[in-house]
Formats: sequence, structure tokens, C-alpha cells
Amino acid sequence: MNAIMQPGFWIFILTMSGIYGIFGLGLQVQYGVGGILNFGHVGMMALSSYTMAILVISHGINFWIAAATGVGVAALGGAFLGLTTLRLRGDYFAIVSIAFSEIVRYVIFNSDNITGGAQGSLAIPAIGEGYPSYTNAWDSIMNHMRDFLQPIFGDIVNREFVMALTIWSTLAVLLLIVSRIERTSWARVLRATREDDEVPAALGKNVFRFRLQAVIIGSILGGIAGIYWALESTLLSADDFLTIVTFYGWMILILGGATKVKGLPFAAIFFGFLYGGTRFFTFWPFSMVDSAQRAYIRIMIIGVVLIILMMKRPQGIFGKRQEMVLE
Amino acid sequence: MNNLILEVNDVAISFGGVRAVNGATLNVAVDSVTSVIGPNGAGKTTLFNLISGAIKPDSGTILFEGMEIQNLLPHKIADRGIIRTFQGAKVIKRLSVLENLMLGGQDNPGDSLLNFFNPKARNAYEARTRDRAMELLQQIGIERFAHEYAGILSGGQRKLLDLARALMANPIMLLLDEPFAGVNPTLVEKLLEVLQDLRTKHHLTFLLIEHDLETVMNISDRVIVMAEGRVIADGAPNSIYQNQAVIDAYLGTRKATS
Amino acid sequence: MAEFIQLLFNGLVEGSIFGIAALGISLVYSVLRLVNFAAGDFLTLSAFTTYFFSVDLHMPLVIAVLISVVIGVVISLFLEFLIWRRLRKSGAGMLALFLVATGVAFVLRQSIALTFGSNSRKFNIDQIKTFEFLGAQIAQAQLVVLCCASIAITSIAIFIKKSVIGKNMRAYSDSPSLAAVSGINVQRVIIATWCISGAFGALAGVFQGTVQGQFTSGMGLDLLLSILAAVVLGTIGDAYGALIGGFVLGIVMELSTWSAFFGGIPSTYKPVVAFSVLVIVLLFKPEGIFGVKARRI
Repeated sequence: MNAIMQPGFWIFILTMSGIYGIFGLGLQVQYGVGGILNFGHVGMMALSSYTMAILVISHGINFWIAAATGVGVAALGGAFLGLTTLRLRGDYFAIVSIAFSEIVRYVIFNSDNITGGAQGSLAIPAIGEGYPSYTNAWDSIMNHMRDFLQPIFGDIVNREFVMALTIWSTLAVLLLIVSRIERTSWARVLRATREDDEVPAALGKNVFRFRLQAVIIGSILGGIAGIYWALESTLLSADDFLTIVTFYGWMILILGGATKVKGLPFAAIFFGFLYGGTRFFTFWPFSMVDSAQRAYIRIMIIGVVLIILMMKRPQGIFGKRQEMVLE
Repeated sequence: MNNLILEVNDVAISFGGVRAVNGATLNVAVDSVTSVIGPNGAGKTTLFNLISGAIKPDSGTILFEGMEIQNLLPHKIADRGIIRTFQGAKVIKRLSVLENLMLGGQDNPGDSLLNFFNPKARNAYEARTRDRAMELLQQIGIERFAHEYAGILSGGQRKLLDLARALMANPIMLLLDEPFAGVNPTLVEKLLEVLQDLRTKHHLTFLLIEHDLETVMNISDRVIVMAEGRVIADGAPNSIYQNQAVIDAYLGTRKATS
Repeated sequence: MAEFIQLLFNGLVEGSIFGIAALGISLVYSVLRLVNFAAGDFLTLSAFTTYFFSVDLHMPLVIAVLISVVIGVVISLFLEFLIWRRLRKSGAGMLALFLVATGVAFVLRQSIALTFGSNSRKFNIDQIKTFEFLGAQIAQAQLVVLCCASIAITSIAIFIKKSVIGKNMRAYSDSPSLAAVSGINVQRVIIATWCISGAFGALAGVFQGTVQGQFTSGMGLDLLLSILAAVVLGTIGDAYGALIGGFVLGIVMELSTWSAFFGGIPSTYKPVVAFSVLVIVLLFKPEGIFGVKARRI
């Protein structure tokens, strides 16, 4: 029972919730507004985190420039995905988008010389040294913030605390921006396309452009989540970006109510418990299974939650049923 | 013949071997009301889809104000000033009635993401569009539903909304797909009034698909009869009644069924 | 040349497996409008159950395969009554179907991993015996798979074309509402669809396990993308299209590794090849090879 008493447990859950909250927000723009079924969202996370890490480690580029480039590459990934396949029917796009993220993962996994491939590290450490890290610049920022905040909030403030705080501040700002965007006429056109693309087209709206922009904005958000993911995990592996991660995002989106952003942070925290919680559940009855089996069970639970959610409450906890089912 | 606004020349399209429109040729004069009639499956709605760009013809040309438009995408054609309504009236059910109307606003700065950082321009436009939309809603008498989901409207109200939304888009030419079908007589009166008003005041050109012959004969300057993907007759309303081919293909069957 | 023949043959075998699996998915889509993301894990399941009955319980392989087919069908029907039927009644949309199918896939895959662990398995068959044909080495196992797959494909083609249920299936997929009013027993059509898809998924799983030699609980997932590519390539919902799409992709994927082709694409990139082919085809024909024209937006 000890783990749950530790602040570290809660901070870990908050950190994960925040990262996946930003990730899910990217899906919200695409599906909640535009009705676009992007199942390849994790590909954007992979693109940004690997771009950032490679630029910092292999090319010695400044962290901020590298991070911005990473997010830019994620946006380009979204643009590429959209330009090639967004004219397809919704279900075709869903399938092809999954393939997109899997192809990104395959390429990362098999490009050993650039990404470290299956080893999951970007460069071989020199003898007597640790793995080369891309988090040095970030760590020093975190440490400065810690030193600044510690006198105010006390000993609870450590690096992880500052990280969680930073991520949630980012999420808050992004939520604000996205909810503003969703009040523009741009979003109104997108909401129309969600239901019917002929009507807006017949009124002179370039439906393709609106959808493409939605995918790019979503991809930027996915890219930001990817940067934080990389900073949090400190070591990247192609296995971090399995298709299942996309569905973590979908679960958060649906739980929070797809059409509104306000439920999203709560859904993200719920997901954080599901995701992070099971790692710390080392007490009985969870002690009966080993950690690998716990990982299997965790994904099973996510599967069951998805099924029950979609069958019983497709509008999520906070969503309006009318907006999901109105005929 | 430079008073023609729309010229459809020998247009054909087939779907999976079925020729939906098979060499149709017709034209529409500026400032006129032209009706397309014909039995089900004659290709009327497909013709509208071709003109509005929703589908691209296999062959033939479509000229609007003298320029070829058959290769343009729907939104480009709408930009040129051809606005259509849909059979059975398509409303966006999960947007409010007002939002449906505001969707019709053209050149909205808020439609561009770059103007996210220019709220002044966006808000000014929104306010203007909103006023105009409310005005239109009052004209068609459904302003009390302005903030309800459009999904709750009745069939007739949806037709009014569809038409009003098309008007929001500042059309030069309106394509109306069965605007009167399933609408109660008082509403039809109202719709006809609106159309006449538009025609005299705003010099709009109308092309409509309609089944109710009486209405067609009343309001049309010209009637085009289609059957099996072709134009089989074309002329003033009176001349159509006397055309033997039309009687065989359309009026005959209609009399038999009614 | 020998390499070409070898790859062509490998492609034919792989294509027949893709084709069978893709046919099941496409059939389910045509009748139920459901893209079954869980289909890949049905392949895995049958490979593991076949292993369990034939190796652990020492049953003859044929019996083990038959039991696995029955298990595939039973689970498909179980899910139909537990989940899919209720979702249809509640008028669930495309997203709900996608996400529930994904949830089912997660549960199925993790159950297999929990039960059988993460070690790889191997059927108790002669993997070594090969024949020589025009310089290519053709494994006995491959030949058996190709023969069985051909029989399965032929019989399903005849079934869909000639049997009453097959005809009803086509009628129902063309127009569900029309078929329902014209007196077709919709429930029977749906059950038959799940039976075929369950059985074909199970067969594809056993075939793939045989050809691959070794397999783990991730087998089906690794294949799912290529199979979905075949489904979309042949126009989703078109059973014959799916078969052809399967063969095309199987052969293209194998031939892409041909050394005469720019030195050959590394075989780890085969799924990338499959999807590149798909995307290129869709760019020119957005509705798939056999689809009808879509509206433009």
C-alpha cells in the first residue's frame, strides 16, 4: 500500500495524464470538431520526439530549436497524411492513418544507424559514461524552477513536481487556445463537415482545406505531447509508439465527451490512474501476477473500458448525448 | 446568345455502367426561371450534381457566364455564384438554425485560421452575418428556432432554412432541387413569394427541379423535360403540354398513376 | 530468375493467406458496415489453439485445425450476440464500431498473451522438406497451405454465388432496407457472415503459423495492416476485390525484396511496401480498385 501514499505516485499520474491530455486534445480538434477519424495520431508523437532527440544528441542543436523542429515535423507528418488520404471516405482514412503511424514506427525501428532502432537508444555510451542524453537543457530549467519554487511550496517540490506542473500549465494554455479556436467560424464550418460535406462545399467552403488544417493542428498538439513524452521518459524506443497509444488518446477523448474540451482534463486524470496506477499496484491481490502480466491486464482493462463506454455512454461522462446521436 | 448564363453541352456521366445523364444539352437565360421536370431516374438530380461540381462529367462541357466550370470543385463553383439546395433539404442537424445560416456567409475572415489573431475582423464580420441571418429567419418565419438544433425542424421548415442558407451565400444563380415537394400549401405560397421577390429585386436566375406541374407552369419562363438521361423537350410551359414525346414519357405515366 | 520464381511463389502463398483473411473482413464490412480491427487477433488465436491441441494434447493436426475453426466461429458468434447486435440496435456510428472492435482486439490479444505467455511457438510439422521447381525451393508446408487456401477460396466463391444464403448476403449488402422488406432472414445472413469470417480468420491464422514456422502472440497484429491494405485495395466490402487485393499485395510485398529491383527492399519493410502500394492506388482511384465514383468535395 506504500506506493499510493507517496507523493511521487500522484505526481507520476499527473504527469502522464497531462501528456496524454495534450495528446487527446489533438484528437479532439480532429474528431470532436471535424469528425475526422485519425487512428495514426501516435505517429506525430513519434515524429516529434525522435526529431528532437536526434537533433540534440547527434547534431548538438539547441534544445528549444530542436523541440520546435520536432513539433514542426509532426505538423508536416499531419500535412502529408492529410494531403495524401484526406479526400478518402472516413473509414478509408481511419485505416490508412493507422498504417501511417505503423510505418513511422517501422522506419524508426529499422533505421538503427539514425534512431538506435531496436536498442532503443540514440547513441552508444562511451565507456564509463551514461547514455548520451537530450534532456540536459531541460533538466537545468527544471532545476532552476525547483530552486525557485521550493522556498514557496516546501519539500514536495522536486524535479518531477516541476515537470508535472509545467505539463499541466501547457495543457491549460492549449485548452484555452483550442476552446477559443472552436468558437470561430472556422470551427463552425468544420462542425458542419463532420455531419455532411456536401452542404459546406455547395456554400463555397473548401472542405478539404478545413479538414487538412484540423489534422495539422491536431498533429501539432500530438507533437507537443511527443516532446514531453521524450523529456519524461529520457530514453526513446520504437515500442513507445505502438498503435495502442493512439487509442489511449481516443479513450480520453470519448470519456471527456468528444464535442467539448471541458471534460478532457478529468478524463485524462482518470486515464492516468488506469495507466500509471497499475504500475504501482504491487500489493495483494495484484502481487499475485508479475509485472509483465500486469501490463497485459492493464491493456485488457483499457479494452473493456472502450467497449463498455461506446456501448453504454458514447457521449462520455461530460458530453451531450443529443450532439452524438441527434438524427 | 450572350444572355445565356448557363450552357450545358452534351454532358454525360455513368455510374458502374448505368448512364445517369446521357448527352444532355440545355441552357438557361439570365434572369429567368427554368424548371426541369421528368420521371424518377430521368437524371435531374444528377444534372444538378454535375452543374454544382459534386460529380465530374465523363464528357461534355458546362459553361457558366461563358466560362467552363465542369472541371471545378464544388466550392469553386459556389464561389462563382452558383448555389444549390438539396433534395429533401439538407440541414446540419447538430448546428443551431442560426449557425446553419451563418455557414452561408461568403469570404468570412473567420474561416481562415490566420485571422485567429485578428479577432476584430472576425467579430465584425460575425456580427454583420448574424444580423443578416436573423433578418432572413424573420422573413421565413422561423426566427423562434434560431438557437435550437436544426435537427428539430420539420421538413417544410428545413426547406425554408436550406433556401435561406443558399441566399446567405449571395448567389447569382440558384439551383433548387424540389423546393416545394412535401411542403404545405401555405408555405409554398410563402416560398413562391420569396422567389418572386428575389427575382424582381435581386435579378437572380433560377433553375429548379419540381414535380408539381401546376406550380411549374405558374412560375416558369421555360420548362425542360428530361427522360432517361436526355433532354426530350424544351420550351415555354404551354408548348410542353402539347409535346407528344413529353406526354408519352412523363405526363402520360403521371396521369396513369394519379 | 530462380530468385524471381521463388519470390513469386512465396508471394502467391502469402497472398492466398491475405486473401482469405481479407475476404472475411470485407464480407463482415459489406453486411455489417464494421471494419473488424479484431480480425488480426482471431488469426493469432487459431494459431495458438491449433498449437495447443496438436502439440500439447497430441491430437492429429487436422483435428486441431478443425477445432480451432469451430472456436473461431463460436467466438465470432458470441461477440455478435454480446456486442455487435446491441450496438446495431442502438444505432452506433462508425467511431463506436471502430473503437469497440479495437477494444475487442485488446482483450483478445492480451488474453492470448496471458494464457500462452510471450514465447514463440511452432507447429509439429516437417518444415524442412522442399521440392525444386525451376530452381526455386518450394516447401511442402507452403504447397499444402496453397492447396488448402485454393480449396477454401473456391468453395466460398461457389457458396456466395449459388447458395440461397450467399445470394441473400449479396442482396443485403447492396441494400439492407430493401432486403429486409423483401423477406430475407436478416439474422441468418448476419450469422452466416460471422461463421464465414470466423472460419476464414481461423484458417488464415493456421496457414500463416505454418508458413512462418514460428509465431508469437503478436502475429495477427503484425499481419492486420497488410490484410487491411488488401481489403481497402480491393474496395472495402467487395469480397472478390479483397481476394484479388490479397494476392496482389502478397506478390508485390515478396517481389519488392527481389535483388534485381534496386537491390531489393529490406524484408522488414514489407508492410511499408503494402501500404505504399495502397496509398498510390488510392491517390489515383480514391474508391479502391472496384469501387464506383465518389462525390467530390
